[in-house]
Amino acid sequence: MKSLNATNYPFAHSGRLFGSAILFSVFIFLQGCGPTQNEINAQHAVAAYLTGDFRQAVDRLRPLADKTDENFVLNNCRLGLAALADYDLGESESAFLKAYEVINSVGVNEGGRSVGAVLVDEKLKIWKGEPYERAMVNFYLGLVYYMRHDYNNARAAFENALFKLRDYGDDRDKKDDFRRVESNFSLASVMLGRCWQRLGREDLAEANFRRVVELQPWLAPLVDSRVQGQSNVLLVVDFGRGPRKITNFDGAIVGLGPTPSQEGPLPEPFVRVDGKQFPLDGTNRPTVDLLALAQDRRWQSIDTIRTVKSAIGTGLIAAGAIDGLTDDRHRRVGMDLALIGAGLLLKATSQADVRQWEMLPRTVFLLPLKLAPGKHDITVRFPAAGGLSQAWRDLDVPSEGEVTYYMHMQPYNPGPFYWPPPAIAAASAPARSIPADRNTSPASPKTEADSGANH
Amino acid sequence: MVNRLGIEIGGRRNPMCLGFGILLVSWMVIPGGCANDTAVAHGHNTALDGADLVKMTDDMSMKITASPVVQQAIQREGKLKVVVQPVENNMTAEILPSGPANAFTGRLRTLLSHHARDQFTWIMNRDAWYFLRQRELDIDPGPSPDAIQPEYALTAKFSTLTNEDSRRRSTYYLCVYELTNLQTREILWTDKYEVKKMAVKGFLD
Repeated sequence: MKSLNATNYPFAHSGRLFGSAILFSVFIFLQGCGPTQNEINAQHAVAAYLTGDFRQAVDRLRPLADKTDENFVLNNCRLGLAALADYDLGESESAFLKAYEVINSVGVNEGGRSVGAVLVDEKLKIWKGEPYERAMVNFYLGLVYYMRHDYNNARAAFENALFKLRDYGDDRDKKDDFRRVESNFSLASVMLGRCWQRLGREDLAEANFRRVVELQPWLAPLVDSRVQGQSNVLLVVDFGRGPRKITNFDGAIVGLGPTPSQEGPLPEPFVRVDGKQFPLDGTNRPTVDLLALAQDRRWQSIDTIRTVKSAIGTGLIAAGAIDGLTDDRHRRVGMDLALIGAGLLLKATSQADVRQWEMLPRTVFLLPLKLAPGKHDITVRFPAAGGLSQAWRDLDVPSEGEVTYYMHMQPYNPGPFYWPPPAIAAASAPARSIPADRNTSPASPKTEADSGANH
Repeated sequence: MVNRLGIEIGGRRNPMCLGFGILLVSWMVIPGGCANDTAVAHGHNTALDGADLVKMTDDMSMKITASPVVQQAIQREGKLKVVVQPVENNMTAEILPSGPANAFTGRLRTLLSHHARDQFTWIMNRDAWYFLRQRELDIDPGPSPDAIQPEYALTAKFSTLTNEDSRRRSTYYLCVYELTNLQTREILWTDKYEVKKMAVKGFLD
């Protein structure tokens, strides 16, 4: 019986079929490579945030953050930070809480997503962020609670932030490594200490401050319990750009950069209150350098899979090409094309997942101030960073308790900004006086007027 | 396979062709299948959930009404005037937003108001009252002169032992409910609900 297989008709079916299949798949792949409309919208929102248009960023991100797709956590992180910068603390809390719940969950990629992430595209997995990004979600969520004087939930969030870095630090089963990694996140430890102080647990506050000093001695002036306890204004100042994911020429291996040495040392801020220099006495040291923290990134298993897929893909393409060149009689053209096609598909599906929370700062400064009650004009300046500054007018300082102001340093807009910002002014317009002795328990109903600075 | 002319077509399947086909099909099919696997469709964590809320408050409502000390107080004083406070979060690394914090005591109050309506008078807590008045009234008339002063407070404190490493997160919960006399600070009734939760991390967690 005569056979019509590839051996007898080398150019007949299989060659054309696989040539078409490869062209088709490459065509499909090229279409799939481009960003989706949602991703384009998210990038516009990020651009708005980076240029200081927080309200536009919030408006653009809100519908995206509602979609429970693979970017659900990422878009809620973005929305939370944009809303925080806009002083819309209710929206910020809501967004960060959504991200927090998914980040804290296990098995969110069950179903088809795990298989899809390995076989097809890593971007199919639900984004939960790198360890430092997870820690920052918890830090900002804690900050929102702290600004609202909900110290118990703030404390819980800061503790969780430390867990997120411990999460990858203890994998080496070495105590020293754990301590080293956790020490890099003194930002959460300092805030945790402040929470304990406000909750009346000086012993636990002192323990956290001691740990910070033990691991990062240059922060000793900042974690002086007297300075922290007496301060009635806390400035939380975001500075610089956080780590970015980078790929190599092959698009397969992801790294995080730039390194701290490439970017140079972090500058120190100076504060002017009502036109006069405020003595910071060494409290203006950076609490964290996310660029350094990102360099400690532990590679996840999928990175290995992706690398292997890329290497096998390269091997298949090479094998197909070499065999095709040496196959003088074109007997194995179908197989060669299949090899090349499979190689191309493997390489196409081994592209790195470069999704990231690109709005993160490089560092966060915590500046505790002790000011007289009333309204003050406060300017934060970075003389060593090209004179970068931000000025606020009429910031309220309460006669009792404390107030926290968040500042995102913007290269293109030094201000002055006026307190209250529009989000708080709009929300507090119908508010009426409430007795000062009312309960400020975590679950107490908050007016929107409470959202920025509680006093 | 043989065609109508009796000629064998196709012949032996090339394994590379088959592999390529499988790869191509999976690449095209799998992303479509992920549409239903939303970020909230799967996964679980160690937080208290709705099942805990129901189980815990059902348990507490039975225990508080069955308490001999509470029953003696009711016989002695009549209906107890009780104000309900939201849960105090003493948990390690577990956030309790205001909604759940109110729900864990609010559901207990609701159960008791249904099943023991002749034993308790429920008084709105001051924060909720101020909030409601602020929202609903154009002019704040100040404190009501006819306000009923609560005699007891129903409170709850949740504490945890939480640990997390690269393999799992585990949380042991101790949820303590108390009915306290506001005048004498005497704790009339207290009971607890305990549960341990664990989330084991897997691939891509």
